[in-house]
Amino acid sequence: MDYFILLTVSGIAIGVIYGLIGMGYALIFKATSVVNFAHGEIMMLISYMAFSIASSWTLPFWGLLLVCVFISAIVGLVIERVFIRPMLGQDVFSTVMVTIGLAVMIRAVVVLIWGADPLLLPTDIGDSGVEFGLVFLYTSQLYAIGLLAFCVLGMWVFLRFSRMGVAMRATAARETTALLMGINVTHVYAIAWAIAAVIAGISGVLLGTIYGLGPDLWTQGLRAFPAVILGGLDSVFGAAISGILIGVLENLSEGYIGQGLKEISGFLVILVVLMIRPYGLFGTPEIERV
Amino acid sequence: MRTGVFEESYSELISLYRNPTQTYWTVALVLAALVAPLLLTNHLTSLVNGMMIAAVGVIGLNLLTGTTGLISFGQAGFLAVGGYTAAVLSADYGMPLWLCLPASGLMAAAFGLIVGIPSLRLKGLYLAITTMAFTIIITHIILSAESITHGSSGISTPKPAIFGVELATDKSFYYLILAILTLAILGSANIKRSRIGRAFLAIREQDIAARVMGVPVARYKLYAFVVSSFYVGVAGALMAYHIRFVNVDSFSLVISIEAVSMIIVGGLGSTAGAVIGVVFVLGLAEVLNYVIGSMGGTLGSVSVLELKGFIYGLTIVLFLRFEPEGLMGIYREYKNRWVNWPFRY
Repeated sequence: MDYFILLTVSGIAIGVIYGLIGMGYALIFKATSVVNFAHGEIMMLISYMAFSIASSWTLPFWGLLLVCVFISAIVGLVIERVFIRPMLGQDVFSTVMVTIGLAVMIRAVVVLIWGADPLLLPTDIGDSGVEFGLVFLYTSQLYAIGLLAFCVLGMWVFLRFSRMGVAMRATAARETTALLMGINVTHVYAIAWAIAAVIAGISGVLLGTIYGLGPDLWTQGLRAFPAVILGGLDSVFGAAISGILIGVLENLSEGYIGQGLKEISGFLVILVVLMIRPYGLFGTPEIERV
Repeated sequence: MRTGVFEESYSELISLYRNPTQTYWTVALVLAALVAPLLLTNHLTSLVNGMMIAAVGVIGLNLLTGTTGLISFGQAGFLAVGGYTAAVLSADYGMPLWLCLPASGLMAAAFGLIVGIPSLRLKGLYLAITTMAFTIIITHIILSAESITHGSSGISTPKPAIFGVELATDKSFYYLILAILTLAILGSANIKRSRIGRAFLAIREQDIAARVMGVPVARYKLYAFVVSSFYVGVAGALMAYHIRFVNVDSFSLVISIEAVSMIIVGGLGSTAGAVIGVVFVLGLAEVLNYVIGSMGGTLGSVSVLELKGFIYGLTIVLFLRFEPEGLMGIYREYKNRWVNWPFRY
């Protein structure tokens, strides 16, 4: 039983990161129906930027996070403006391929600027942690849980009550109608990219603090894919919940069934789930009329 | 004055060559391909071999993604299945090449069926990510099934030999690959001008409408998966013989993405486009190698790799931005201009 609790708790600690990353994917997909394959790379880029900032100024964790939120919003807007907006009106798949091209470019740029050696993101929370009975959690992992809760709440308030949030939901429901109702759809897209980049930035800083930086940090974006698919590509909250589910599941399968299952158990699960529910657990089924 | 090619009957519409000119050019191309290795250096022959092998696989992917509209990032997975089948059969069981190639194709086709069935309900990006999951799972299976695949250490394949004749050099291997590529192109072209190919196109355009018109969508989607993965499996086997070594590292997810970018650069849905896309993307990598190499040792080896990655990503982005029809689109545009000159159309 102790072993089970241990696995579950550390699974949740990883899962919240998947959830955060997944929310970024889901938000962009919801607003623009594009899967942003460069999400993991944007996350990596921002966490490396955080490294540069943290090594030139000594900032407390929250200060660093705030600066990074600001920077990542700008990064998101720039990427949307330069790469994504020109693709408006073209096939969705083309835009998806653009994000893949962008991903390849960011990966190269990060290594060109910061080198390929693993780095440690210097923050003031370091190795401190709290012990709950038999499980030990780093402060950074606790922060991650808190930040996921904050992001979920923030997104809910934003989508439910703010003007822009309602506009975003309208655009997600039907782009043309939203356009006819006087919603500035390009603005909505830009904001969606900015928010997704901010979420990527938060998860990047957390990942950098918990696991350190390396040129393969972007694979975490790949690892979070099962979470988004399980939750349904267009469900922001589904991604958060299934991120935690996938994290726990990975840990349990590794602990009880076999070594190495951690990498693929998420993908195995989505194969099964998609057969039963092709739009994920919380996704909106698409009704097609010809 | 010739104003264009007009098909006046169904048999003309579906004929393999649209006019005599096309036949002459094809004959010229085949002759050139036959003579080519006599003129090329060993290094270039090896490069062309790699391109032709990739072309076999990418033509297969094009049938699935370009013609049927099922986006697949599973290319690397099917390549791995084909490559490993060939390597295991030839290295551990001493099977000859002429048996290994179809066996790899069939093995990959079987996996295509396995991936295809759960994918029947999925569309677009959900399918893309599921096929990506397949690649990741296959890699893991290969790594853990050590008794068959030798795990992470990989397998060395013997020299390719056909009916007792050893194809020791790249130049002799060239002719075998050329023959297979020709078969692949003919197969793809013939599928596309037949009932099956038209069903694929109908599914790509609107699958519900296709169903209404009497196309059994599920069956044809599975056909597409099976045929495409057969192609890719054969390409994987050839790859194993070409590199003379298989290892999971040669079948990373990057290969899948590269394959999709090749059909986009070439022009979705066109067999010629698939081949041109392969030549362009692999040729670009080679040219970059050459240019960066000739600039001398001012750049570290890491930066060379990254610089190549950057330019490669940029190429994809620029193509999608400015020429979504791909190189075939550019070709068609200029051909039309040439034919219609001095008129616009």
